[in-house]
Amino acid sequence: MISPIKIWRRQKEIRKILGKKGKILVWTKIFTPGTDFKKYAPYPVVMVELENKEKIYGQLVDYEKEDLKTGREVVSVLRKVREPSIDGVIAYGVKFKPL
Amino acid sequence: MVGIVSYGFYVPKYRIKTEEIANVWGKNSDDVKKSLLIEEKAVAGIDEDSLTMAFESASSALSSVNIDKSKIKVVLFGSETHPYAVNPASTILAEFLGIEKNYLAYDTEFACKAATGAMISAQGLIKSGYSDYALITGSDKGMGKTHDVLEYTAASGSVSLLLGKNDLILELLDFESFSSDTPDFWRREGIRYPSHGGRFTGKPSYFYHIEGSAKSLFKKTGLKPADFKYSIFHMPNGKFPIQVAKSLGFSPDQIKDSLTVNYLGNSYTASALMGLMPVLEKAKTGDLIFLCSYGSGAGSDSFALRVTKNLQKRRKEFTKIVNDKKYINYPTYLKYMEMI
Amino acid sequence: MINLIGYYTTQFGELWDKSLFDLVEEAINGVLKQTQLSNKQIDAVFFGNMLAGVLGNNLHSTSRISEILKVNIPIFRTEAACASGGAAFNLAKSYLEANSNKNVLVIGAEKMTDYSPEETITGLSAAASGEEQEAGLTFPGLYAMMANFYLEKYHYTEENLAYVSVKNHFHGSLNEKAHFRKKISVEDVLKSAYVAHPLKVLDSSPISDGAAAVILTNNRDLINKQKKSVSVLASEVVTDTISLKERKNLDEILATKNASNIAFEKAKIRRRDISVAEVHDCFSIAEILAMEDLGFWKKGEAGEKIKELSTKFGNGGSLIVNTSGGLKAAGHPVGATGIKQIGEVFLQLTGQAENRQVKNVKYGLAHNVGGSGGTAVVTILAI
Repeated sequence: MISPIKIWRRQKEIRKILGKKGKILVWTKIFTPGTDFKKYAPYPVVMVELENKEKIYGQLVDYEKEDLKTGREVVSVLRKVREPSIDGVIAYGVKFKPL
Repeated sequence: MVGIVSYGFYVPKYRIKTEEIANVWGKNSDDVKKSLLIEEKAVAGIDEDSLTMAFESASSALSSVNIDKSKIKVVLFGSETHPYAVNPASTILAEFLGIEKNYLAYDTEFACKAATGAMISAQGLIKSGYSDYALITGSDKGMGKTHDVLEYTAASGSVSLLLGKNDLILELLDFESFSSDTPDFWRREGIRYPSHGGRFTGKPSYFYHIEGSAKSLFKKTGLKPADFKYSIFHMPNGKFPIQVAKSLGFSPDQIKDSLTVNYLGNSYTASALMGLMPVLEKAKTGDLIFLCSYGSGAGSDSFALRVTKNLQKRRKEFTKIVNDKKYINYPTYLKYMEMI
Repeated sequence: MINLIGYYTTQFGELWDKSLFDLVEEAINGVLKQTQLSNKQIDAVFFGNMLAGVLGNNLHSTSRISEILKVNIPIFRTEAACASGGAAFNLAKSYLEANSNKNVLVIGAEKMTDYSPEETITGLSAAASGEEQEAGLTFPGLYAMMANFYLEKYHYTEENLAYVSVKNHFHGSLNEKAHFRKKISVEDVLKSAYVAHPLKVLDSSPISDGAAAVILTNNRDLINKQKKSVSVLASEVVTDTISLKERKNLDEILATKNASNIAFEKAKIRRRDISVAEVHDCFSIAEILAMEDLGFWKKGEAGEKIKELSTKFGNGGSLIVNTSGGLKAAGHPVGATGIKQIGEVFLQLTGQAENRQVKNVKYGLAHNVGGSGGTAVVTILAI
């Protein structure tokens, strides 16, 4: 179980980067994930540069193959980020959607 | 006068067609479509839940207005698929939206009418002066057992309404609520999928309560079906709302715009509210709208709403947005719904 | 003057019968035997290991080693992800610079195959930042981002990367202790399944068990007595941000560049003086970047140059890279790699590299990286 306190602290940071636009700097697609991400595999992960120059990582969702390229415009959305244990706190975080 | 100040909706990108499901179970898809009047339904992604969808619809509602968030002192989250059995999603939602911390929040449950019931409570809190605004969300990632009729109808979606007393787009003229103990559709604690009473969900349940609630509102206000430009009913399938509209005396023209169930399915607490979305795309100043929800167990909330001149500046595109969709197949549907 | 006077490595691979400390014990006994020293002649021990705490719930390994060695001397453990071994060596050298007439044992070891691949991948991702882990970026994912960036910027394809694995597998076939002994072709690499696009199974180093140990000394009498001995000219550790996204440039590992520049300056030799090098090829792209960051090849050139295979044993090149098989073919028991790399250079410089012996070698270099470039260690040895 992930510490609920860590999730709580993290969510205060998540709030600040929701609904922000940016461009994909670099991407990859993960085929062999760690335990917490097994059910989402395979999934793309992108490094995005936001309009304020801040850089954020996140999975790319609701995408087509053509969206996986450098420079593609994306927006940050709220999604579940890890497989919670059946009795653990749900971790919500940032993922990206092509604009 | 209390009413709706702004609104927002969220429908996930994915759709599954009725025939895709019917083919798996060896059913004739034309028969299924004819009996349910549903072509396809909306399916949330594997990493979406009622909270993430509520955030999208609520963000949209708040983006239409420039208000001081500290004036939103009521946040109510209605769902049948709450992320937790115990832990309020309403505060998770409020926190992500930047609403803090002097506010009343709670999660509501009354099957598909959890959100409209909350609207009634919220308008009282605004009228009494406790709060200037109230944020109400109906959001569901509707579940249905495989090889059951609910599999074709249970869908995902969210609608959020910001209630207030100034700068309204819709005036809440009056409302009524009708309740009883009727076990037509239910889900026990710890059980994944809801169960239902088959044909019992019809006449003694859906129709009885909607008719009871609607007639009660008509009597109270002196309004008749003919006075309304649009009527919107809860949509468990494509047939029931058309039938109840007719039996109450509404014409097909009055209901045709609201039938989102045909192409989005039944998003439970967001169902009737979703029907309001295409209506607001075209409604004109002065139009009267009749909105009637139904929640199994059972009860119905009716509302008489009047469009103001402010709708024009806060109107949102709906039809174009929901047509940006992607079809998925049955195994992907099971994966997204975490059924496998 | 600090010299390396002995080296022992266990087999690298899936060593089901051996626990972590079985491997540590084997390496300790092996190197003591090699140098004909007794345990009582060791004055301090430095131990490099990354995952014993995370995967095996084993910490306080220093005390465990005291139990194995049966002595009551200072023992320290270092952790710098995959550079744990190199960092341990660096600290051992510093210890000898501060204490005269001492002998130090440096061990690197890792046990990874007792756990499911998902557990191990999750453990390895502890070398990445919290945000990287939260985004589901595995270790291969981080290097894959660097690979995509490099390939796009310098207009190369996945094929250029494949040559690294082909060369290193050829070397592995010459090394008895390597995890993989089979030669592979470019086609084999391109056909293998994706791990994190564009890196495939055959672009990636494996999950292996293993331990390696060296003995360092600044005791002149002992150095003169030893038949095989090399001097440590430089060992430099440089760190950089843990987050890939916070780095200045995505097509280089700055920590490597800086460590390399400082090391060559301290050693007072030039890049072309190096004839053998063990560089950190955790993924094929890592060797490509290393050749540029260490200063052997110009920025952006490595993708093209690797195809010439001038760094492959037997092709007559002036610099042969990763004769051990690299991480790719020899295996990558994380904590052990840094020591194995230094040990391989030692074998080359002292003429003990058998069928993979490079001729006329005077200077050698070992390059060890932690995480996606958060730590780099560059060591230069000379005979």
